[in-house]
Amino acid sequence: MLRKLLFRNSTNFQFVFATAGALIGLTALLLSFQLILDVRSFHSSEKELFGPNSVVIQKKVTKLTTVGMNSTEFTPEDIEALRSKEFITDVAPFQSADFKVGISEVPGDGLPHFYADMFFQAIPDRFMDIDVDWSWNENSEYIPIVLPRDFIMIINYGFAQSQGINQISEELLMAARLTIHIDGNGKKTTMMGRVVGFSQKISSILVPESFLEYANGLYSNGNIINPTRVFITTTDDSYGELEQLMEEMNLDISQASIDVAKIKTIITVVIGIFGVAALLIMLLSLMGFVQYSQLMLSKVSYEIRTLIRIGYSVKTIVMTFVVQMTILFGIITVSSITVMTLVNAFVVNTWLNENGIHLEKSGFLPSVILAAVCFGLFITSNYLSVRKTIFKLGRS
Amino acid sequence: MTLEFKSVLPFPLREYNHAGDSVWKNEFVLEFPSKVMLNASSGKGKSTFVNTVYGVRHDYDGTILLNGRDLRSLSLHEWIELRKTSMSVIFQDLQLFGELTAWENLQLKNNLTFHRSDAEIMAMLETLGIPDKKNQTCKTLSLGQQQRVAIIRSLLQPFELLLMDEPFSHLDEENAHIALGLICRETAKNNGGFVLTSLGSKHGFTFDRELKL
Repeated sequence: MLRKLLFRNSTNFQFVFATAGALIGLTALLLSFQLILDVRSFHSSEKELFGPNSVVIQKKVTKLTTVGMNSTEFTPEDIEALRSKEFITDVAPFQSADFKVGISEVPGDGLPHFYADMFFQAIPDRFMDIDVDWSWNENSEYIPIVLPRDFIMIINYGFAQSQGINQISEELLMAARLTIHIDGNGKKTTMMGRVVGFSQKISSILVPESFLEYANGLYSNGNIINPTRVFITTTDDSYGELEQLMEEMNLDISQASIDVAKIKTIITVVIGIFGVAALLIMLLSLMGFVQYSQLMLSKVSYEIRTLIRIGYSVKTIVMTFVVQMTILFGIITVSSITVMTLVNAFVVNTWLNENGIHLEKSGFLPSVILAAVCFGLFITSNYLSVRKTIFKLGRS
Repeated sequence: MTLEFKSVLPFPLREYNHAGDSVWKNEFVLEFPSKVMLNASSGKGKSTFVNTVYGVRHDYDGTILLNGRDLRSLSLHEWIELRKTSMSVIFQDLQLFGELTAWENLQLKNNLTFHRSDAEIMAMLETLGIPDKKNQTCKTLSLGQQQRVAIIRSLLQPFELLLMDEPFSHLDEENAHIALGLICRETAKNNGGFVLTSLGSKHGFTFDRELKL
């Protein structure tokens, strides 16, 4: 009877609007939240664009460098300065071989006769951008080598043609063994090597760190070599800082790496704005709902005042409202989750797929939890607002 | 229950001159159970008296003590408890719920106190001559009929003090007499008392005490 008295004219325009508002608001919030989650998973699963933010940095070679008055080496102080930057999460200098390296073909393996002077560098395994068998020890049959992909491009589409030699496929190059000539510390030796992969990102000739340490130990000329190239890993939204660092240290960074950093920064910012907008929508619908419940209270203020005058406790009346709100908002929450799931499955995904973007679905549990949190927030704020108003009516 | 008045003067009545035997700006004590008549012409503050004692109005100078406690110091929770267990009221404007039927209005109160059985409530409706109005919404009842519903509602709880603000204003003398008879019987059952305000008529009844405004 209390409900009949307090809710007799609650199904009206305002009710429909407040309910629709809350439904739209919560659905928008859940949809954006779900999208943010999906994009974040996209973020971490797409290697090319969204892998860890690893960038190779080197100092610019200038006229002064060429005449020997300026060094492109990173001193231990430089490395320390890099480590202390907040947006840099990992620093790893390239190691260089302190001995001469040359390669030639292994007769009978299908490569034309050649000899070339070379160099070797090594980076920590965690920075390798391709998945190859990168283990090496003294008993290994050959030294695994990774070449820059551009290298084979230059050979096949430039060098080979102009010199009238055959083009070499990646497969052939990887199948053929190479003779590695090492000369340093007064000793000479040859070893077997084999190209195991090609790197998009690192324009250097890479060998495993374990091999380089071993070989430097035996053939090093005893020079202390400061690295000239350093691998750094940066945080997602650090394009601005990276650009500043380039200025400060006169750095040279590949345009592709900079573009990736730029895109990532933009995406991170856009996602952030998206999240804030969704939160605002939610707050707006929360306010709409609180306002609706206030309107409902003001419509039955006479009834509430009189009920308190004939002995009804504030708690009883508040609970009558809160129970009603809980039922109503429970329905809204469940509907929002349903609508969000349907829109996500049939509209967003279809659209993304048509545009060739395949997101790894990240599951609905976080969204359901968020919906539950919103539900709790709505009920609590409504409870507090209703209770305050009823108290005020009771005292009048 | 003891009500002690100490120089009480409602703000709206400040400008008036009050007689020496008026309840305003005077000191006196009301002990319940007793039957008190408050007789005055319009505009002297009968409703103000009832609403002030019932804790609905707080705009007055002076102090009213209920069993030794200042009325102003009672919390809303204490007021509600008081209105459920020891103080009942018939407002001049009745304050029924027009959208609910007579029966629902009565049930709304009785569901809170479980003071009377359905049969007993039905008997009261019969005593006051409106059993056939039971299922009619209150807004469709005449003022006299509404007044009788309000009278019965005020009796559906235990009370030491029943405040009545011109409860018979829309009843003829015969019906007023019947209603007052019912009120007196219920008051006796509760071992309580009442304050009845009236425009002058004593409805053929003797009171323990008479107050003037």
